Amino acid sequence: MIDNLSLALTHGLMLLAAWLLLKRPDLDSEAPAPRHWRARRKAPRPAVPDDQPGA
Amino acid sequence: MRDLVFVAFLAAIFGMGLRRPFLLVLAYVYIDIVSPQRLTYILLNSVPISLIAVALAVGGWLLMDDKSDSRFTPRQGLIVVLLLYCWATTLGADFPLDAKDKWDWVWKCLAFAAFLPLTLRTRLRIEALLLFMILSAASIIIVGGIKTAAGGGGYGQLDLMVNNNSGLYEGSTISTVAIAIVPLIAWFMRHGTIFRPDWKVKGFCLCLIFACLLIPIGTSTRTGLLCIVLVALLALRNTRRKMLYLTMIGAAALLSVPFLPASFTERMSTIKSHDADESASTRLAVWRWTIDYARAHPFGGGFDAYRGNHIRYEIKTTDGAGPAPDVAERAVVDQARGYHSAYFEMLGEQGYPGLLLWLSISLIGLVRMEVLRRRYRDPAGDFGWAGPLAAALQTAHLVYLLGAAFIAIAFQPFVYMLIGAQIGLDSYLARRRVEAAQVPLRRRKTMDANA
Repeated sequence: MIDNLSLALTHGLMLLAAWLLLKRPDLDSEAPAPRHWRARRKAPRPAVPDDQPGA
Repeated sequence: MRDLVFVAFLAAIFGMGLRRPFLLVLAYVYIDIVSPQRLTYILLNSVPISLIAVALAVGGWLLMDDKSDSRFTPRQGLIVVLLLYCWATTLGADFPLDAKDKWDWVWKCLAFAAFLPLTLRTRLRIEALLLFMILSAASIIIVGGIKTAAGGGGYGQLDLMVNNNSGLYEGSTISTVAIAIVPLIAWFMRHGTIFRPDWKVKGFCLCLIFACLLIPIGTSTRTGLLCIVLVALLALRNTRRKMLYLTMIGAAALLSVPFLPASFTERMSTIKSHDADESASTRLAVWRWTIDYARAHPFGGGFDAYRGNHIRYEIKTTDGAGPAPDVAERAVVDQARGYHSAYFEMLGEQGYPGLLLWLSISLIGLVRMEVLRRRYRDPAGDFGWAGPLAAALQTAHLVYLLGAAFIAIAFQPFVYMLIGAQIGLDSYLARRRVEAAQVPLRRRKTMDANA
């Protein structure tokens, strides 16, 4: 009884965690900026903030 | 019935792993810690589930995962060198058949430890790994905690679902691991992102920490008690009101004494009188034997070299009470006694080079975690979560090193996963630091061009 309760609780939480991880894009990549120059050219340029000299 | 539930659980995780290959790594972590094949009777123990999981984890990483941010660090190199060294000592082992048995699981543990950091490319992956490790260990700890609270315990008596005394199901090992993960659970109460730290998560974490503290009591292991003291002392580093903390810890310890079972207090009282205790005297005799053995065999005798020992030691027995009881010395002869210490296990089995490699892997980890703990100690910084995580991983490692002085757990897979998490955190933060240093440089150049 205690064994099954503990196993159900922890395994349920692991399943829920795995389900939540599926929906998180930052699991696989935190930096979406492409590295290759070709891909970088195609990607939209980041907006320059107003307080910077180039704005 | 339980078999079907386990199969459904694994099928679900493997299924999700097809979309996110890192989940396959987590599936292996789970299988290695919980060993569901030992908890079932029909389905899982007839297939090599661990082998399937590791093949899927490595295959998923090779075929589907991005490897541009993966780095092979010097400490992973040391683990590989240790793996090769163990292989060499196994070839010339004193007891080839026994050595091969141990080699069969040790190489998997070391190979996975060297592989794991390659997959830990993001903060979320490091967190997910630690979450799965904690929840997997929790499936044993919660059982032990509830049974202890209900009064079912004692040295070698606590029923932890599996009775074969191996892996995390062994009393002293689960005591050490349960206390080692306490600081990591506390980290999840503040910095977790998979389960946001609301009242439910904090409540669960507090209950789990309580269950962890009950494990050394339930298993009546002296090692566990020492580990609790170490965690309490190390927590002082992160406490602002140190006097208040010390007073509260002291009060909690005093209040808990009346609730402790008699079997626990009796066994703890033997910590001081080691010369009257057979378990402690055996240890000292085996350790002396190992030192002599290493002098004759500096490169080690291969796995399970302890089988060749013959030891003789004396224990004191006391008859009667009062101011002058009769004290008699009794000689005990024994053979093939285990090392009861990871340090002597390494010295006897792998010799001085093996011990040096093993210690280097641990000590470098402790130093690196100290560097990270100090570098990211600002809670308001971008990496405010990293400093406390490094501190928690360091404390966990120190608890392991203390427990390892009394248990032969030099190759405990759970600990190598912790080391994997340390390496992953270290290389992740190093990469982010380089990226952060490059951005201002680029901005600076833009500003110069515009000036």
